[in-house]
Amino acid sequence: MLLELTGLSKRFGPVEVLSDVDLSIDAGEVCALVGDNGAGKSTLVKCVAGIHAIDGGSISVNDEVRAISGPRDAAALGIEVVYQDLALCDNLDVVENLFLGREKVRGLVLDDDAMEQLAAETLSSLAVRTIRNLRQPVASLSGGQRQTVAIAKAVLWNSRLVILDEPTAALGVAQTRQVLELIRRLADQGLAVLYISHNLNDVFAVADRIAALYLGRMAAVLDAADATQSQVVELITSGRSGTLGLGADTNGART
Amino acid sequence: MARPGTEELRRRNRAALLEQLHRHGPQTRAELTEALGLNRSTIATIATDLAESGHIQETTGRSTGSAGRPSTLVECVPKAESVAAVEIRADRVRFALFGLGGEVLERAESPLLTGVEGPAAAEAAAALVGGSGAEAVAAVPGLVDAGAVAHSTELGWTGRDVAADLAAATSREWRVVDTATAAAVGEWSRGDAHDATRLLYLHGGRGLTAGLVVEGRAQRGGSIQLGHIVVEPGGLACACGLRGCLEAEMEAFGYAEDIESATAAAGMGDAAARDGLRRSGEDLGRALGAVVTATGPDEILFGGWLRELYLSAAAPVRSALAETTLPHLRSRLRLRTPVLGEEGPLIGAAETGFAALIDRMR
Ligand SMILES: Nc1ncnc2c1ncn2[C@@H]1O[C@H](COP(=O)(O)OP(=O)(O)OP(=O)(O)O)[C@@H](O)[C@H]1O
Ligand SMILES: [Mg+2]
Ligand SMILES: [Zn+2]
Repeated sequence: MLLELTGLSKRFGPVEVLSDVDLSIDAGEVCALVGDNGAGKSTLVKCVAGIHAIDGGSISVNDEVRAISGPRDAAALGIEVVYQDLALCDNLDVVENLFLGREKVRGLVLDDDAMEQLAAETLSSLAVRTIRNLRQPVASLSGGQRQTVAIAKAVLWNSRLVILDEPTAALGVAQTRQVLELIRRLADQGLAVLYISHNLNDVFAVADRIAALYLGRMAAVLDAADATQSQVVELITSGRSGTLGLGADTNGART
Repeated sequence: MARPGTEELRRRNRAALLEQLHRHGPQTRAELTEALGLNRSTIATIATDLAESGHIQETTGRSTGSAGRPSTLVECVPKAESVAAVEIRADRVRFALFGLGGEVLERAESPLLTGVEGPAAAEAAAALVGGSGAEAVAAVPGLVDAGAVAHSTELGWTGRDVAADLAAATSREWRVVDTATAAAVGEWSRGDAHDATRLLYLHGGRGLTAGLVVEGRAQRGGSIQLGHIVVEPGGLACACGLRGCLEAEMEAFGYAEDIESATAAAGMGDAAARDGLRRSGEDLGRALGAVVTATGPDEILFGGWLRELYLSAAAPVRSALAETTLPHLRSRLRLRTPVLGEEGPLIGAAETGFAALIDRMR
């Protein structure tokens, strides 16, 4: 298992925001994380990304329990997080952004041409055709193109787990489609993907499994092939659906 | 079983090497030796043969390894063998001549009048193709069997022997495959779908068709009239004469004209547009349930405007699929969108021709 959360708990002061959360994600699969506003999705992401310290449970990467105490730890484990408000530098071009902050970490010395070629190869391996000029400043890109650059960065740096927290929330329909196809392709190339979205069409379009958080608890983890939209909606809004969910016989989580 | 003679073995090895280069591009001799499981001296012999017949050439290519020493690559000579591929659509004929290795050598298209008959469409194709290519393959949207189009919503044809029309117009033989099957072959051989054993491609045009290919090869009976699966008994009248067909219920013609405005309106929260997409998604999912149950694919590609529909209405599509298929059929089913876009059918038609051409060399 690439990522495995076991009994994960997180509290802010007296409030337990995540309680005893189990979740596992394999290489090659897209796991969608759904839940109402405030359910704890972003908090879960920040625990895995090393931004929040966890209060209970454990995080395993490749079957080894790891202490992730900062974004650097996460990056070293091959975990890349793409937030909605992206950390791209507007005044730098596409190539510079792809390599930003990484030159030193890996002790790599690449000349400009080599970087451009590597950037072009990465984008083409992802079948990205929407960015024509790699030397154009990121400020001039559309929202969808910016997401694309952020995601390509994960591939370029050989990440093993890419986490996307609402990457399509600010995008139009056509751009959303491209990002969805990109997310699917990431997993098909062998990465593990954790994808957070409120849009169930987007979730069903790419997910292999759907994990539903309800008030900080994992209500159920379903195979997307078996799930229906109404089940998922019930799990999001009430934490259960039929025999599934909190207080029911099973929550579907893999053991 | 009699052992094949030396000459026969040599022929087969030549075909295998050419196929390997055609499918996977330039390679070193070492890579070829590895991929084909032949020894080095056999590779050397057949490479010499194929170089003499003008099919392959050796070039100093990319550098390999840390030493950066350039290595000799074996590659196909594109012009050595070519296949003429044609795609007939409601409003035009597209043509491309593909060389060995998959490179496009020529490309042209000409418009068709609405409601064009088979012979006139064949004449238009003939004008583009002439005598080019060792094989000629046409992709036609509709239910195709043994060279004939049984039914095509897109072209308004029924019982049209397209292979005969094309042969009459060009004085040569043609292979005819349906557009969805051609696109499936294309995505399997030059797209991202090579892991699929049973690949089902759905083509959204003015009508809805599907093509099933097994290990990347077109099958007799693999052309499927997706659009005329009845999803609403007694429902809307379909051009085919039945009622409640998928393409009538989905109003496929409207989506073919302009899916963008429907998905954009739904994306901006327009309730009627959302409802329309949801119902279309459910209908599609239900019809797909029947097709999946009957054919057991391991991958489905949503092509043409079905790409946009799937990505905007995946929740109802997959929900309906979950409710209409057995767990063992749906659990390993991958749902994807194509990567070759509009080029898929032409590329696949050409690959069908190359497969035949290479088979003949064996
Ligand atoms: N730094 C913080 N300090 C205190 N409380 C916090 C902090 N971050 C989040 N919370 C609280 O934790 C709960 C979960 O928030 P979180 O952002 O994880 O929800 P979410 O599922 O991502 O919601 P949304 O869908 O709205 O993004 C909320 O009640 C939120 O107010
Ligand atoms: Mg959030
Ligand atoms: Zn019909």
